[in-house]
Amino acid sequence: MILENIVAAFGEIGTIETLGLMLVGVAGGLIAGAIPGFTIAMAVVLTLPFTFGMPAPQGLAIMVSVLVGGLSGGLMAGILTGIPGTPSSVATTFDGFPMARKGQPGLALGIGVWSSFSGGMISAVLLVTLAPQLARIGLEFNPWDYFMLVIFALTITASLSGRNLVKGLIAGAVGLLVRTVGEDEAVGMARFNFGNDALLQGFDFIAVLIGLFAFSQLLRDVRDPESAKKSLTERGTIHAKIEHRAAIREVAKRWTVVLRSALIGVFTGILPGAGGSIANILAYDQAKKASKYPEKFGTGIADGIIAPESSNNAVEGGALIVLMALGIPGDVTAAVMLGALLIHDVVPSPTFIAEEPVLAYSIFIAFFVATFMMLGLQSFMLRIFVLVTKIRMYMLAGIILGFCGIGVFAINNVEFDLWTLLWFGILGFVMRQFGFPLAPMILGVVLGNIAELNLARAMAITTDISPFFTRPWSLFFLIVAIFSAAYPLFQAHRAKRKWTLFYMPAACFAVSVPLVMMGGIPRPILATLVAAFGAYELWRRARNGWQLAETQGDEIVEDG
Amino acid sequence: MGRLNRDAVIAIVLLMACGILFWSTFSIRAPDYGQLKPSTWPRVVLGVLTLLSTIYLVQSLRRGPAPEDEADKDGDGPPRTPGLIGWILYWRNPLWCFGLFFAYLATLPVLGSLIGGVLFVFTLMGVLGGWSARNLVQHAALALISVGGMWVIFTYGLGVILPPGEIFSPF
Repeated sequence: MILENIVAAFGEIGTIETLGLMLVGVAGGLIAGAIPGFTIAMAVVLTLPFTFGMPAPQGLAIMVSVLVGGLSGGLMAGILTGIPGTPSSVATTFDGFPMARKGQPGLALGIGVWSSFSGGMISAVLLVTLAPQLARIGLEFNPWDYFMLVIFALTITASLSGRNLVKGLIAGAVGLLVRTVGEDEAVGMARFNFGNDALLQGFDFIAVLIGLFAFSQLLRDVRDPESAKKSLTERGTIHAKIEHRAAIREVAKRWTVVLRSALIGVFTGILPGAGGSIANILAYDQAKKASKYPEKFGTGIADGIIAPESSNNAVEGGALIVLMALGIPGDVTAAVMLGALLIHDVVPSPTFIAEEPVLAYSIFIAFFVATFMMLGLQSFMLRIFVLVTKIRMYMLAGIILGFCGIGVFAINNVEFDLWTLLWFGILGFVMRQFGFPLAPMILGVVLGNIAELNLARAMAITTDISPFFTRPWSLFFLIVAIFSAAYPLFQAHRAKRKWTLFYMPAACFAVSVPLVMMGGIPRPILATLVAAFGAYELWRRARNGWQLAETQGDEIVEDG
Repeated sequence: MGRLNRDAVIAIVLLMACGILFWSTFSIRAPDYGQLKPSTWPRVVLGVLTLLSTIYLVQSLRRGPAPEDEADKDGDGPPRTPGLIGWILYWRNPLWCFGLFFAYLATLPVLGSLIGGVLFVFTLMGVLGGWSARNLVQHAALALISVGGMWVIFTYGLGVILPPGEIFSPF
């Protein structure tokens, strides 16, 4: 059955036309990822208008290609100019740039490319094997569980995406509110249209995404008139030839770093709200802690390039696992992918892989194929990158804004969508300036109707609200949401207030309750292990006389 | 503004918006069927938003007039000079982008996406990058190639009928 699906999926995307378009997609992603200020999500979202007229497998394969290319493109700028192309490659510059400055730019690039490839492949394998398993768990979810899952996704995104949790939660709530404009999906009544017929259809989700993310980002990039006139070439030397053989040797020697970092990447991708910007720093930090020579990190060593590059390429595999298995996007890029699926009338849910196996396997295969294409294209794209970096920032911004003005119209052939793009571009720009993170808002827009529909379904079954607190999965997500909401407070007060000593044990004990309630054999065993870990943590703190400084060795990761 | 810092002003604006939207939920029609009224979910979201905005307001008022307002500004370029002129000069590039995009949309029914798009990109590049003779040629070429290329891809490649405008469709 699986083999049949794989063959059918190959038939869908194995055409010359699709492979050619995928190649263009990977190349475009590599360039977009390499340009500082142009994020991967921006590249993927701008690809959407091109794909809506294509068959779903072809359109999605191209978007996956842009995504894979973008994930790897950031390393070129990071290593050669010291300016990370995307937030996902910030840690790559820590050792990549010093290695290039020491006269080994080709080796640094080679290590980055092969680490990206390895991380991508590990993540692709896990995507193929884990997504169907997670989808099986997802079949257990009822409307109450789904509603709480959305609340959890929004809460954790808000807590991870900025310094101020309240601002993050406000952004998420504004996103939910934006989605309520227009006719409601359950009974079709007009809401917040204020007599305007154009608003009856609501704001187009893709126009909102492009406005919030791409439009507002471009305005930030050109804010300073002097910086806007500069090109990348004024900031560093960018001539190099990738040394593949030496790089393969270096990466193979450090396969444990590759594996650990890729797993960190996949796990971070699975966690809603935590994307490549967190994964690359976390993997770098772990590689440094596990290293026999941590003092050499930052001076231009291979480990310092391998860890972030393996992890950031593995992130999207993780985010796609959750998207394809549960229909919940793990990050902004996955939210855009969800938009692409919706454009093709495909609604991801736990039954998605079972009901649309060819499409699902097309995405899996596209991920594999695009990773190989990325490897082959890097050397060639390096030359194009040199040319692109001669273009000044304001020119790129002008061209892309011009594209937005055409591409957004093409989605629905409605002029109102262009106005939506403008207003949400302004809103996104203002929100960024006032310190509101955009990721929770985007997830709010994406998940708003999922939350409402599931709430409506739950209320249609019974008006009793107790299942939200008594059903195991619903309770599980509620508990995790509460602890993730409290996490920024915990971070701010740790090693200062006594209550922070109880945060981790309390979280373990609380999570173990719904796990026990789920029944069966593995989950109660897991609950026991989690509770035992909580008890151990509590005992460890008691043994140290409830010393506050004792917890400082734990991980703290925050997306700046 | 006394104790009111920028965050407090935003919180007050948010609270006012919540009030207006909450009031408008009473004009949402409720059908005779369905357990969840169309106004329930927006009210839940607005309730949460009101609560969060209140917390945000209290946080902002407690902090007092903070220097953070300045710290939040964009890190690039020289610091902003005070006054309205200083504000306009500091934000002139984004303001140009907004203004020109607005003009592009407002003239779209007349100029269409091809002529309007080329003019938009050309003018935007001019105001952001300067109007020297060399720039004029470069910007004109880039605007024609990029917008023209995209117009061709969408019109002939993807079969999308982009707004032709009155100049291109006089009949």
